[in-house]
Amino acid sequence: MRFAFCLFFLFLPLTVLADWPWSVADEPQPRVQVVKPFIEWRTGPAAGYPVFHASEKGEWLTLLKRKTSWLKVNDQKGREGWVHLSDVQDTVDETGEKVALSEPRFDDFESRRWEVGLLMGQFEEAASTAVYGGFMMTENLSAELWATQILGSASEIRMFNANIVHQPFPEWRVSPFMTLGVGHIFIEPKSTLAVPEDRDNSIGHAGLGVRAYIADNYFIRAEVKDYKIFTNRATNEEALEWKIGLSIFF
Amino acid sequence: MTISCLSFAQEGERPLIEPDVQPRPVDEALIDTENFEIGAFTGTLNIEDFESSFLWGGKLTYHLSERFFFEANVGFAEGGETSFEKLAGNVQVLSDDERDYRFYNVNIGFNLMPGEAFLTENYAFNTNFFVIAGAGATEFAGDTRFTANAGFGYQVLLTDSIAMQLSVREHLYRIDVLGEEKTSMNTEVSAGLSVFF
Repeated sequence: MRFAFCLFFLFLPLTVLADWPWSVADEPQPRVQVVKPFIEWRTGPAAGYPVFHASEKGEWLTLLKRKTSWLKVNDQKGREGWVHLSDVQDTVDETGEKVALSEPRFDDFESRRWEVGLLMGQFEEAASTAVYGGFMMTENLSAELWATQILGSASEIRMFNANIVHQPFPEWRVSPFMTLGVGHIFIEPKSTLAVPEDRDNSIGHAGLGVRAYIADNYFIRAEVKDYKIFTNRATNEEALEWKIGLSIFF
Repeated sequence: MTISCLSFAQEGERPLIEPDVQPRPVDEALIDTENFEIGAFTGTLNIEDFESSFLWGGKLTYHLSERFFFEANVGFAEGGETSFEKLAGNVQVLSDDERDYRFYNVNIGFNLMPGEAFLTENYAFNTNFFVIAGAGATEFAGDTRFTANAGFGYQVLLTDSIAMQLSVREHLYRIDVLGEEKTSMNTEVSAGLSVFF
């Protein structure tokens, strides 16, 4: 039975090779005409694959699909191969206009609305991993939701936070920001400890950080947050967290 | 004769039947982008002190560029018995529930050597040899532990949308279940199938 299952998966590719059920097969594929003296074709979507063909000026190419910065094309003789986005940007379409496929650039930040990212760092002495999603309300102001897991030697902590971010200089490539937010923390002690005691508390936090643009729509984000944990004991607790990671804008 | 040839040539410049299609600009939305990849894998996980066991899981990959990709994994296995448990007979270090091994991790990968593998003289598959490293958490023996992992893999693209891969990873975390706290090294060897979308 397991063998049959494996076989099924092995041959699955052949059955779906033709078309995905959700692909837009009926729509005519976009065509472009080469205007440079020639465009090189590679066997795969990376500069490491060999060049096996070149299209001359005047030839028409159909754009089939895109992987990162590479487009799969075919020509009128049915050949298929991959050409780089920068070469396709130098072609014209049927109306004679230059083809403009989106190439994310730093200047696009004004039109970006969503941001997601993953950061890792330390929460006091423990390893902290966090994911977040943010919505840019204006160029300077965004709202974010965070989920954090902190794995220490004595406990496992889960944290959920909401915060606002103020970025005073969005046009800078390396741009500082401030955060302010609230959340909830769930602390679960390790099972090997003598007297484990679960607890959960509300938290408030303030932070400072920086976004550094790398390429396309990617940013490195680093930040330090100071957490105030509101306990029901006589004193509140404080914790410092730093983390660094990568964010993507949409 | 010459006259008829001339008129024929003139007609040839304008098609007899005007095509009923408007020239269309390139609409980016019609181009299918395939930067995401979703897949499943099975293999063997060697859990330090707790035998080797069957591993299965899933992954989601996002390709940032031709070189770099992000990969998120979840995996499931089950810890066996320590040699102490086997020799001593009726002893149990962990309960059955605590033997469930679950991990998740988020990694960054690098396609070190893109290439082609030739099945026959005229038929080649695109391939990638990649290195990958990242961090996440492992739930095992009653606790969740911060876990780092690193490894390498070989991916064969059966078509532009379907890939097969073999990978070897080392998962590292600190554990104190058997006395002193130590670094546990767990080797994963797995094979998987994935689909680009």
